[in-house]
Amino acid sequence: MIITGGCDVGSLTSKGVLIRDNRVIGSEIIKSKVKPQNSADAVMSAVLEKCGLGRDDVHYWIGTGYGRDKIDFVGETLSEIACHGKGAKWLMPKARTVIDIGGQDAKTFKIDENGKVERFITNDKCASGTGRFLEVMARVLGLEMEEMGRLSAQAEFPITFAASCTVWAQADAIKYLNSGYNIEDIAAGINNAMANRVAVLVSTIKAEKEICMTGGVAKNAGVVNALEKLIGQKIRRIRRQDPQLAGAIGAALYAGEKLKQEKPI
Amino acid sequence: MKTTEFIEIAADLDNPYLQKWKAEGKKVVGYTCSYLPDEILHAVDLLPYRLRGINTTSTMIGDTYFGPFICSFPKCVLQLAGEGQYSFLDGAVITPGCDSMRRLDECWRKTGEDYPNSAPDFFHYFGVPHKIVDYSLDWFVDEIRDLINAVEKHFKVKLEEDRLRASITLYNNSRKLTAKLDQLRIQENTILSGSDALAVILAGTALPRETYNMLLEDFLNDVEGSKKESNGKKKIMLLGSVDDSIELMQTIEGERAVIVADNLCFGPRQNVNFVDESEDPIPALAKRYLQQSDCPRMFGLYKERLETVKNRVTEAKIDGVILQNIRFCDLHGSENGLLERDLEAAGIPCLKLEREYGPMVETGRIKMRLDAFMERLDK
Repeated sequence: MIITGGCDVGSLTSKGVLIRDNRVIGSEIIKSKVKPQNSADAVMSAVLEKCGLGRDDVHYWIGTGYGRDKIDFVGETLSEIACHGKGAKWLMPKARTVIDIGGQDAKTFKIDENGKVERFITNDKCASGTGRFLEVMARVLGLEMEEMGRLSAQAEFPITFAASCTVWAQADAIKYLNSGYNIEDIAAGINNAMANRVAVLVSTIKAEKEICMTGGVAKNAGVVNALEKLIGQKIRRIRRQDPQLAGAIGAALYAGEKLKQEKPI
Repeated sequence: MKTTEFIEIAADLDNPYLQKWKAEGKKVVGYTCSYLPDEILHAVDLLPYRLRGINTTSTMIGDTYFGPFICSFPKCVLQLAGEGQYSFLDGAVITPGCDSMRRLDECWRKTGEDYPNSAPDFFHYFGVPHKIVDYSLDWFVDEIRDLINAVEKHFKVKLEEDRLRASITLYNNSRKLTAKLDQLRIQENTILSGSDALAVILAGTALPRETYNMLLEDFLNDVEGSKKESNGKKKIMLLGSVDDSIELMQTIEGERAVIVADNLCFGPRQNVNFVDESEDPIPALAKRYLQQSDCPRMFGLYKERLETVKNRVTEAKIDGVILQNIRFCDLHGSENGLLERDLEAAGIPCLKLEREYGPMVETGRIKMRLDAFMERLDK
């Protein structure tokens, strides 16, 4: 039985996935370490242990993410845009537009019926509109990332942040906290600011149905809801697996295609 | 001359030919923009030197005079000036290529007050109109005459017409050689990488023109028959903000691509239009320099620029176009959006890339975009 692996070493988290017979048999998400190779080793070991498998049981690995070039056990590497496209297609077969918000990038891309990327655009200015932005802001509020979405749903009067620059927004958030504003309203304001940045990308690429969202931020309901309102279109929720795993899943799927002697991209 | 020698010259502000020039007691005048006619300076024995902001390790000085939301190119130039690295300059001419570059004029003057020996004695602002109409051409002729007067007065020289005509001929010869270099790049199996071609052109901005023409001619004779650079690689055209970074070019090219054409202000585009040698030299120079449509600083010429790019894409069999801009570069930032829309509509794949000028600090972020673009071109 063929088992393939995908290893996605991102700037904030590293993800590992094993696939057999088009089914995810194991996955793991860990905080990225300083060295990409250490992150890759740790996440691979964790996922293998979970499945009761050894390194030699996996027939082919593909690496992706920012640390992809530093992973020594993968057969080849692909960009995370290609892998998220493939993963999104597997997670949601009708998907044609993918919004992926990673640790230091926000990307929007259109995929074809095979999950191959037809066109993509990325954020450019800075950390605003990325997972790093949310992480910094959650730390200011003393919240876990996951709590941000839940709390923002309870907001009555969301704050409007004048700047979505991470540095200025951080200063603003501290100011609002010290002035006694509700943490829910501040959290909602942060999610809205994030959604505003990403909505520009979605509009630019002229998103087509179905739209889905991958990456860790897809789990923040506050951002997803705000984004839906801004772009005026439904964003389909991914349920089949954790959307944060999309890149690693795509990498493992490409590894499978490689073994079938198909050109990966 | 070999490519490596051009790369060595391009990698530094100083070079042995420049040192020799200075040792002979001759003067060097730095300038910021491709709209300045080099021939004027050359004809009075001044070395026209195109200012760059390379090898900066911080923008501590530049940050004092420029704000945070501004292009990093003039900031890096000012940083080097403040550090005294441009102390070999005897003069500087600032041009309003864009508002950030125009600001360099007053920022550098003030830096000169605060940092000893950071600004040369001769400092001149050279206005360049943003439209090509009859009265703007007259204005540009006046600007050229003002520059000549200022240079003559400060350096105690006299611009002779026959010397100016000789300089025009010399620079036209240089343009012919650069056009040859450009043709080598776009041939079916190019023998030159984009980064090597950039190094060859950059060297020309810091060498006496007679020397450069000789070295370039030798190079062109030697380079024929070199190993092919483009076998199976994607052919890329690079557009956008000022780029004199060999490292950026190398990052883009990697193992899978070769930049065979560009439309950059440090690139060969400066060398495709000739000065009419049959006309009066000053009006002829004014026409040649002002009538360059390639820079988005010029109003109302977007369609011409788009056509130039499209023609080049066809001629050089380009697989994809990379539209880069330095952060806060309004001119190229906005024009790249238009170009992306129109080139994609014409079936030409594009990648927009925003970056900082200066040392490459975002290699991972840039590489991810490039990899994804190359994967798209592979389809």
